[in-house]
Amino acid sequence: MKKFMELHGKAQPWLNLLGRLVLGIVLFLAGYLKAKAPAEAAMSVRAYEVLPIPVANILGYSLPWLEIGVGLLLIIGLAVKKSSILGGGLMFLFIVAIAQAWARGLSIDCGCFGSGGQVEPGQTKYLQEILRDAGLTAIAIYLFRYPHGKLALDKRPEIRA
Amino acid sequence: MAQQNSKDGGGLRGLVIGMVVFVVAVGAAFTVISNKSNSQAKTPSVVSKADGYGIVFNPTGSPTIEIWEDFQCPVCAQFESINHSYIESLARGKDVKVVYYPLSFLGPESVLAANAAGCAAEEGKFLEFHRSLYMNQPAENSGAINATWLQLLGAGAGLTSNKYINCVTKGSYYGWVKNVAANGAKNNINSTPTVKVNGKELDRATQYMDSAAFKKAITDAGA
Repeated sequence: MKKFMELHGKAQPWLNLLGRLVLGIVLFLAGYLKAKAPAEAAMSVRAYEVLPIPVANILGYSLPWLEIGVGLLLIIGLAVKKSSILGGGLMFLFIVAIAQAWARGLSIDCGCFGSGGQVEPGQTKYLQEILRDAGLTAIAIYLFRYPHGKLALDKRPEIRA
Repeated sequence: MAQQNSKDGGGLRGLVIGMVVFVVAVGAAFTVISNKSNSQAKTPSVVSKADGYGIVFNPTGSPTIEIWEDFQCPVCAQFESINHSYIESLARGKDVKVVYYPLSFLGPESVLAANAAGCAAEEGKFLEFHRSLYMNQPAENSGAINATWLQLLGAGAGLTSNKYINCVTKGSYYGWVKNVAANGAKNNINSTPTVKVNGKELDRATQYMDSAAFKKAITDAGA
């Protein structure tokens, strides 16, 4: 175990960079693709049938921009702790939203990367979508626990001797 | 920022974070505002604001058939190839109210096509334009739909006036296209095509792609 911790200590800054890039790029891309097609993004949120229509529409229009912002901060390694809370929180919400759609028997695409809405009953991919978002949540938790890494604007606090 | 060593870059950090937050806030606010409907927008004269900015045939007729489509949506083209003759005959007749809502959520080319549909409606040739577009529907967002293409398509549908061409090239009805989209969002239209008869959506599994079942649903409603 001690050996593992030592190894992890060496790898951690690189794991942090990798995690930031994976979560950051996914969030940025997802946000960018949806921000380009706001009507479709709003449609995706409505199709979950959770929120009142006007609220779902506003969320559909604005959420992509939040994803872009959090994605950018993670990629450049700025305010990583806060960004990973936001990014992980979003992923967790997405899991809950997809799971409830699945449980209620809706047939929708998660709309994670645009082009959401209703799909044919045989065309849903709920399990894949949930597993993917669970993986991304795990990355966010790791980044929260180890927020410092390579190529980041956040400075590692000096170790006080 | 709580870190002690933030002197070497604390200002820069704050500035960059501020910039990101600013972009997020402005982007989100702009998107929300620009997707609201604008009652001042220029609108084709056959469009009824009371009917959610749809293109209306036989406003006093009954039953009411409402059709939400995106000109780029392949399933819409399929739906049209099955049912267009019947729907057109209702729109050309006098008894049944038919309302078309050209949505534009699939991208910029859908906006161009919906605008051109408005231009065609203004010239009294919406049905011809609509049929011709679905028969010649190009692949989604392939760059095929542009002003020249819409001009050619229009010419094939009998739209040769300068008024139509100007309307297409200038995008005279972009504001209206947005209003149609905003109204679709307000009415929870999450899929195209969506067809409602007297406000009730038809069954997607059985009544859309079967011309006999489609016809029956409408005649049952009193057509």
